[in-house]
Amino acid sequence: MTDAAPAAIEARGISKSFGGVHALDAVDFEARLGEVHALLGENGAGKTTLSNIFAGIYRSDGGELLVDGSTYDFKNPSQSIDAGVGMVHQHFRLVETMTVAENIHLGWPETPKVISQRALIERTKRFMDEIGLHVDPTAKIWQLSVGEQQRVEILRVLARGARVLILDEPTAVLTSHEALELFDVMRQLVDGGRTVIFISHKLNEVLHVSDRITVLRNGKLEITRDTQGATARELARLMTGEETDLKVEHREVTGEPILELRGVSALNERGVEALHGVDLTVRAGEIVGIAGVSGNGQTELAESISALRRVESGTISVDGKDVTNGSVRAIINMGVGQIPEDRIGVGMVGSAPITNNAVLRNYWGDALSTGMTLSREGVIDFTKTLVEAGRVQTRSIFATAGQMSGGNQQRLVATREALVATRVLVAAHPTRGLDVLAAHEVQTSILERRDTGCAVLLISDDLDEVLLLSDRVAVMYEGEIMDVIDRVDVDRERIGLLMGGHDLEEGTP
Amino acid sequence: MMFLALIDNAFLSVISSAIPASTVVVLAATGVLLNERVGVLNLGQEGLIGLGAVYAVIAVQTLDVGSPWVAMLIGMIAAGVAGLLFALAVVVFKANQVLVGLALALGGVGLANQLGTNRVGQPIKVQFREVNPGGAFDSPDFFEAFLFHDPVVYIAYLVLPAFLWFLLFRTRHGMNMRAVGENPAAADAVGVSVVWSRVLYTVAGAAISGAGGAYMVLSFTPSWSPDIARGRGWVALAVVIFAGWRPFRVVAGALLYGAMFSLGLTAQARGWDVPGLPATDLSFLLSMLPFVVTLIAILIPAGAAKIGRRIRSAAAPAALAIPYSREDR
Amino acid sequence: MTTTYRFERRLDADPRHAAKTRIYGALIAMIVAGLLLLLTGRNAFQIFFDALDAVLGNQRGVEGTMLRAIPILMTALAVALSLRMKVWNIGSDGQFLMGAFAAVGVGIHLGGPGWFVLIVMAIAAAFAGAAWMLVPALARAFWDVNEIITTLLMNFVAVQLVAWASLGFWRDTEASVIQSTEAVPYRLADLPGTNQLTIALLVPFIIAAVLWWVFRSTKIGFEIDTIGGNPRAASFAGIRVRLRLLAVMLTTGSIAGLGGMLQLSAPGAQALSTGFSAQFGLSGFIVAALAGAAFGGVIVGGMFIASMFFAGLVLQTKGLSVFIIFGIYGIILTGVALGEVAARYRLLRVETVTEVASA
Repeated sequence: MTDAAPAAIEARGISKSFGGVHALDAVDFEARLGEVHALLGENGAGKTTLSNIFAGIYRSDGGELLVDGSTYDFKNPSQSIDAGVGMVHQHFRLVETMTVAENIHLGWPETPKVISQRALIERTKRFMDEIGLHVDPTAKIWQLSVGEQQRVEILRVLARGARVLILDEPTAVLTSHEALELFDVMRQLVDGGRTVIFISHKLNEVLHVSDRITVLRNGKLEITRDTQGATARELARLMTGEETDLKVEHREVTGEPILELRGVSALNERGVEALHGVDLTVRAGEIVGIAGVSGNGQTELAESISALRRVESGTISVDGKDVTNGSVRAIINMGVGQIPEDRIGVGMVGSAPITNNAVLRNYWGDALSTGMTLSREGVIDFTKTLVEAGRVQTRSIFATAGQMSGGNQQRLVATREALVATRVLVAAHPTRGLDVLAAHEVQTSILERRDTGCAVLLISDDLDEVLLLSDRVAVMYEGEIMDVIDRVDVDRERIGLLMGGHDLEEGTP
Repeated sequence: MMFLALIDNAFLSVISSAIPASTVVVLAATGVLLNERVGVLNLGQEGLIGLGAVYAVIAVQTLDVGSPWVAMLIGMIAAGVAGLLFALAVVVFKANQVLVGLALALGGVGLANQLGTNRVGQPIKVQFREVNPGGAFDSPDFFEAFLFHDPVVYIAYLVLPAFLWFLLFRTRHGMNMRAVGENPAAADAVGVSVVWSRVLYTVAGAAISGAGGAYMVLSFTPSWSPDIARGRGWVALAVVIFAGWRPFRVVAGALLYGAMFSLGLTAQARGWDVPGLPATDLSFLLSMLPFVVTLIAILIPAGAAKIGRRIRSAAAPAALAIPYSREDR
Repeated sequence: MTTTYRFERRLDADPRHAAKTRIYGALIAMIVAGLLLLLTGRNAFQIFFDALDAVLGNQRGVEGTMLRAIPILMTALAVALSLRMKVWNIGSDGQFLMGAFAAVGVGIHLGGPGWFVLIVMAIAAAFAGAAWMLVPALARAFWDVNEIITTLLMNFVAVQLVAWASLGFWRDTEASVIQSTEAVPYRLADLPGTNQLTIALLVPFIIAAVLWWVFRSTKIGFEIDTIGGNPRAASFAGIRVRLRLLAVMLTTGSIAGLGGMLQLSAPGAQALSTGFSAQFGLSGFIVAALAGAAFGGVIVGGMFIASMFFAGLVLQTKGLSVFIIFGIYGIILTGVALGEVAARYRLLRVETVTEVASA
């Protein structure tokens, strides 16, 4: 990359604001032909806004956009597709009830006017062979894994002749194995002369796969540089504007067992067994991390503990008391809090005031209610305490929770659960979707809970996070605990194998 | 043998009157299907039927239109204009579809009744004629029951569903339509215009519902009376749920309604009685039947899904009644 | 520097702002309706002032409005309560009729002291209204069947049942002019100082006050609002969503049903006939939509719609009719729906610096 290849796509002084707030402020950006160009930044740095302008979803307020040296002003996504720019969104834009073949042909002028499933499937197979990417064309989208769905998105964009492919945080939803496969696909594409813009805030991935890096911060361009020679620490500083290393101290855990699961089995939504005879103990002052690829029973595990899901067999006890299939309230009253996986969708009522959200998980307690009635003063006092403890920024505690920024909503839910969790805290993917600073804030609060003697169960598909915080690591695969490993004995390779259902002795499949 | 023949005759008589009785529901339900496939819920069917009917009456009585087809077209245009206003409110301005749909049901019926004030009971001279070779049959027999109806019946029962099926499942355009109803963000991302398809098929669906209303006065009733739809619009909405959003199943669902409706008529015409139940009581009971059966019909798929396995294809378009705005993510 | 204006869309609207824009929407809709009346050659101004005069000009007008307000308020309260849970009870008309049906059944068959019969009538009406909601409520709570169509279909069954009662099994064979059931010989006590009103008028106010208190200060109100806001979050808080849904839906049915019993004390309405409900449920629905499920707003909105309704009846001779009133309802409802959307938008002033390209 010493002889600079010509620019495939270029932004000159692009600006965009929402409600008077600058999402992008005169940003210059250039991705060259045949490179993987990483676009790095915290949430709200403007990466997604910039790529949405490239993809014709937003129109810029000012500045110039060039593709292959010609100026464009995309008014809608199809104009950007016509110019050879294609985007794969973080949230897939696929129609779940339709087949892969139908999804690839959707809204495409080259699709024949009269169609049959068979013809669409034939055509789809042909593209797949040409491009070298394969998914079952007859499958309905909902039947596919997340990685496969992403491949359909990529295929769809490439089939339309995209030469610039924008991937918006593509690895956020992938397992580590799927991510590696995606990187291979990315390399294969740029070797074929295409350009890939890779949006991420995972530094290791960016360093691994990209040729050049552009860092945005607060809607402004921070730097564009070659990946070679860049370090994670330097990039993190550029992204956040400060040093961000989280220091985690681990001590010998001597606390008594608090949360105990014995032979717990449970079904998922489709009635299939998702947990199979899980045995697990979490002691006071300890963080046990669950490592595993998403969808191996972690969600069901968290829900079983919080009594949100029925346990078919086995027992769950807290402080030696059997709480199996108790009521949600009984579990909360025992001091078990849960940061749910989908914090906004499950943990919060967006249309309700912050006060209601603050007391959502303890309003029935003596401090907040007498008989039928809620104590208004009690609710207000509790909310004030919570808002202060969690540094939740809001103009009023009576504003609706939905009016706060996403980060503050996250803080509200996480802090509330920490207050509930006097004995056990179940944290399901607590930092998913958070940028570096916000993630550190949440991780710090989890460590604080541990230090107060709470038993913490941490579920995360980010192995780095699990290894950083946990005192012990339990690996889950297909609803079973493969092994529980002390942090001193941790062997990354072995954990990786266990997550895939294998062990060292067996070798790789 | 006599007994059997009687049953047979009664059955045919029910069928023969069920087919035209259901035509309104078939047409309105087809309109609803078209709306809902692109994700628009239009609860204003009663209003659309009323407007379609009253404008067809106006076409014949005031504009002296001599052809039932032209009268129907005028009814369709009136309903289409109402559909356009509805589409503007809910698709372009993204207003709540339930509220505006009810507004259309109320306002449309009110307007139609007002326009029809001086026309109640007056005969409508222009009517659709049934396709019957020389009136050769005068007792209901098999062929007459099933075959001899006016051309609108054939269009509603065969041509329209076949066309819709082809459009939805055999054309590129139809595939894009379905995507708009299932996941407008996905359709938008690949360049399908969500607003345009929703507006277009909201208007088209409204016009077809209006054709149902026009058919009532041009063949079925055949005179104007206030509140002419009498719940058929709501039944049409229910039939689409029962039909799992499939064109031909809509026909089946509408026929079920029609059969219940004409059961009442036949019972009255033939003086059927049930021992211990006076004829008037029977007729009131039978007049509830279409609504009760329709209600049960929409509970069946949901109940079956809870008991047995979930049938994915019977689910409503996922984006039904949800306004789409590109900037909401 | 150029200044342009554009709209920005927000995900969550401020509830107070939304209430304001809904009212603006309704007002603009009324102006539109007035213009339409002008266009069709009616003197909208004259009609407006005549209507004001008819409603507020004398005691008869005020009482007439209040009389219409009772059934409208009862159905509106039923709909508003269901809306707190994001449930659309469009069947309040049917529940209202069934309440009246049950009350008439009790009233013409049960003997005893008047107060006793009236209490039994009220209880029967509340149960009948709830019973009419049972199938839609069970289907919604346990089978996830949308309640809009089911509650509506139940309306038609109720209409037929009432027709059957008044023309069939409970028919008053002596009355010849209007076919109806026998008249209930009991009426609620008169409201002192009025000519036509009974203590029935107090009931919607009491219910509104109770509901207001429930949603302001009790755990049950909190739970219902939580379910309405996000049912998954409600489950997460340990609220039994399905049971609450069922209970609230049945309660809305019983409020509408009680409304049917109260209506039997209105002048000339002691018997059930096919014209017993002048689509009160639909009027109630508009009131609830206008008020955005706020119970104080329901009272104000209910009075407003009732006065329109009454004016429509009085002004039949002056080019207004019940049909036109329904047409205007439709326009108002559309205005409310559009006003609700408007609350999500904010007009922004955008200033763009245009750079002068240098050669």
